[in-house]
Amino acid sequence: MERYDAAILGTGPAGVSAAITLKIRNKNLLLIGNKDLSMKMEKAHEIQNYPGLPAIPGAELAAKMREHLDSMGIEITEDKVSTVYAMGDYFALQGATEMYEASTVILATGVVLAKPYPGEAEYLGKGVSYCATCDAPLYRGKTAAVIGFSPKEEAEADFLAELAEKVYYLPQYTDEVHVSDRVETVREKPLEILGDDKAVALKTSEREIPVDGVFILRESVAPSQLMPGLETEEGHVKVNRRMETNLAGCFACGDIVGLPYQYIKSAGEGNIAAISAAMYLDQKKREAAKKQDA
Amino acid sequence: MVKKINDKQFDEVVNSEVAVVDFSATWCGPCRMLAPVIDEVSEEMSDVNFFNIDVDECQALAIKYGVSSIPAVMVFKKGEKVAQNVGFVPKDAIKQFVEANK
Repeated sequence: MERYDAAILGTGPAGVSAAITLKIRNKNLLLIGNKDLSMKMEKAHEIQNYPGLPAIPGAELAAKMREHLDSMGIEITEDKVSTVYAMGDYFALQGATEMYEASTVILATGVVLAKPYPGEAEYLGKGVSYCATCDAPLYRGKTAAVIGFSPKEEAEADFLAELAEKVYYLPQYTDEVHVSDRVETVREKPLEILGDDKAVALKTSEREIPVDGVFILRESVAPSQLMPGLETEEGHVKVNRRMETNLAGCFACGDIVGLPYQYIKSAGEGNIAAISAAMYLDQKKREAAKKQDA
Repeated sequence: MVKKINDKQFDEVVNSEVAVVDFSATWCGPCRMLAPVIDEVSEEMSDVNFFNIDVDECQALAIKYGVSSIPAVMVFKKGEKVAQNVGFVPKDAIKQFVEANK
């Protein structure tokens, strides 16, 4: 497998800026995100404080950034990374179907505004799971509830239903639901996960549903969930002035590291993260050369 | 070294002063990522016995110890479960987890 110098997660101003700087530093980079860059930027009515680009509509700024990437031959890989594993010497990234490897990682995925349910953290791994396809075989002959935040999670509920005795699906969106006959759709609002030493029921706006497990499938994952072992503070990734996280070789920038949520601040942090990553890579290279000499 | 064991060999865990058991499965991505990390940690901690148990092959054990999400790494003292960590964790963190509970 090709091992990139740096994998950048996110194509908002922070990720784009990091990619540009790493390209200038001649690093072999992987930029993962959307061809549309960022929905938030795309929808911004007008940005007034981006130096050199007065009163620019968000969509126009995004178009300029895409142009900038194109002009430097930086490609965007459209994928969604569910987990980043710190393997020690490198990072392994789990995409929708593919795995990637990189020596450094720059997290620029933006901010997640979802609040966890009461009981969610408490019963994580004791009945609460974020991945139906991962843990489904443990629910053979059992009852599970799936809380889905987008229609694509319906497939996860179907998959789970092939193994579990009973599956409830709680869509947290208004679109029509298409699941197999084995899944019972429940239009109720989840309130809390109840349990003793493990989860035993899902409390909704209407009742308590007895379950062995609850699968919570959100649009975007919280930073601590995206990268096991990553230190966070009030929902944001903890970094220092050099955008270094607590994990060596992992950097973060943009909204994910905290307020203010400003495009220019994100772009600036992306630049710092890229320079720090480049320095880290060069340092590693020198150490490796020294080892070989010795 | 991490030793792969089954139901019948669980007395090796019981007979260990301190044992670390990694409950995993072949179909589980995070388990596959964690395995080489645990292997590295086991090389650095000679006073602890490391074991791996496949939850598909040993369902009774998985149920007995309440495994509902994997990978689940448990620390046993003389066969008594004293701590559990679920999911992938980086090397330093798993080492600290074992150190703190052994």
